[in-house]
Amino acid sequence: MLGRQRLHPLSPVLKSVRTLFLVVAAVSWRGLQNLGADRYALVLLGLLVLVLLYSAVAWRFTGYEVVGRELRIHEGVLFRRTRAVPLERLQSIEVVQPVLARPARLAELKLDVAGAGKAEAPLAFLPLAEADALRTRLLALASRTAAPAAETAAPEAARPEEPDLYRVDNNDVVVSQFLTPPVMFTPLAVLYIVGQLAFNSDFGVFAVASMVTAVAGTIGAPVMRILNFWNFRIGRAAQERLRIRHGLLETRSQVVGAQRIQSLAVTWPLLWRGKGWLRVTLAVAGQNAVSADGQQSRAETDRLLPVATVDTARAIIPLALPGLDITALRLSPVPDQARWLAPLRRRVLAAGLTEHAFATVDGLLTRQLTVVPYARIQSVRVTEGPWQRRLGLATVYVDVAGSTPAAAAHRPLAEAFTWADELTTRARAARALAV
Amino acid sequence: MTEPRPEAVLHTASADPARSALDPWPGEVTWRPVSARLVGLELTRIAISTAVMLAVCAVLWFLTGSWWAVSAGVVVLAFTVVRGVVGVRAARSYGYAERERDLLVRHGRMVRHLSIVPYARMQFVDVVAGPLERAFGLATVQLHTAAAASDATIPGLEPAEAARLRDRLAALGEDAGEGL
Repeated sequence: MLGRQRLHPLSPVLKSVRTLFLVVAAVSWRGLQNLGADRYALVLLGLLVLVLLYSAVAWRFTGYEVVGRELRIHEGVLFRRTRAVPLERLQSIEVVQPVLARPARLAELKLDVAGAGKAEAPLAFLPLAEADALRTRLLALASRTAAPAAETAAPEAARPEEPDLYRVDNNDVVVSQFLTPPVMFTPLAVLYIVGQLAFNSDFGVFAVASMVTAVAGTIGAPVMRILNFWNFRIGRAAQERLRIRHGLLETRSQVVGAQRIQSLAVTWPLLWRGKGWLRVTLAVAGQNAVSADGQQSRAETDRLLPVATVDTARAIIPLALPGLDITALRLSPVPDQARWLAPLRRRVLAAGLTEHAFATVDGLLTRQLTVVPYARIQSVRVTEGPWQRRLGLATVYVDVAGSTPAAAAHRPLAEAFTWADELTTRARAARALAV
Repeated sequence: MTEPRPEAVLHTASADPARSALDPWPGEVTWRPVSARLVGLELTRIAISTAVMLAVCAVLWFLTGSWWAVSAGVVVLAFTVVRGVVGVRAARSYGYAERERDLLVRHGRMVRHLSIVPYARMQFVDVVAGPLERAFGLATVQLHTAAAASDATIPGLEPAEAARLRDRLAALGEDAGEGL
């Protein structure tokens, strides 16, 4: 419609700064020691110029355009590549604003496409408003099969944003992340280091340094999560899609359609039980993968609720999977024979076919409820181990895209096969309805 | 979660021999076996790996003269017998059935597996034949869905049957195809 579009002219600068950080991290202290401060700075400057030049050239060849129902992304300096992304395959779109891009009000657009090992072709960087508008337009185009109204894009973008339906309390996020095993054990480790320092004179500086690094490493993950889940807001986007926004330094805003949610998991970690908290994660195909350069892999983008009470979860989950009430699932426990294979877990294990979805519960300490809507079932498997066979038990697996399969362990054999049959039948019926 | 416990009916293998992961719906499904040459292929594979391991043991014995190398060779031989029995039984257990709307694949003796893959969920079909498989005139058909865990691999097919199955699956997938 608009022809080929360029990315924002500042993108090469931002990208090269990002690359430079990696280079600095790679050569860091050793390089500084060997070269001396002046020459080190000179080398860095030289690298910066080189990277900048390359990025500038790359920027000239990078562009995108929307042709029909396809997004075409042109890129590459030596090897030109034009990637065509069919929009009906789009699973979700995320607008990410890294720290560096925020002052310039730039953002990155990440497209999740089913089957891709990584987030497909991030468009970095676009002005924030343009990124939002492009997302709205792409999503409108993506769902045009359902509603042939092509001109919805413009009014959609102009419409004032809907208020958020729910905000996660930042205090809860902080407390919940401190109630995790790495953080709980850190005081012990610190005490140990201090104790060694005080009473053990042989304890070298290097041992202390490495231990401090280790402690920082374990605390790192929860701190990253706090930064990532800060200001967590859930709202509605156009056409019943979910809009999830979060992040303190790097802000992320994701829009995902309910029909793109492959499965949903509710987890009750042991340390959160006192608080009565749980977390809810969504599996979207092509999403929970590592990005091309592996840097963003630590940011978890699969949360529907990073921390919540059961009541909140009951209110929010139906937005993702309509009609699902996690407290009213009728699940059946495993038979008594299972005690030989799972003496303790037997009390926890349960599974069942509910109205719209297959649900299983597992995990003694960290309890997890997995829900797979019938329409999202990819394949069904039944396995029967040698011990299970003696006891007349079997395990039913329901495979979904973009997530580990939901497993109903140790079901009576006859029930397992009835379920397998029933699941394929219901999956077919649900698919027929969805089309 | 408040549902009453299902009554404890003990389905031992002897009480209900007809029903297992290898034949869940007795009489309802016609299973096709894979080629009997798969057993030969499996045995050849095991023989090759045993030969390699024995060669390593022999070289070690030659160089060091240690009796450990000899006993390791004995262990390798004993292990080969076990692998042979398991491998042959596993190779014989493979079977598949094309139902109206889905493909069934079963395999395994110790751990029995049954996969049900609807044609509508099929993303692509692979026909693979390694050098050893080609020597035996066999090929493997693999079905892929959007889920990485889906397991529908049928080894030991005659090339003609593999091609027929591939074409049929592709055609059925087109009929029933859709996105995710």
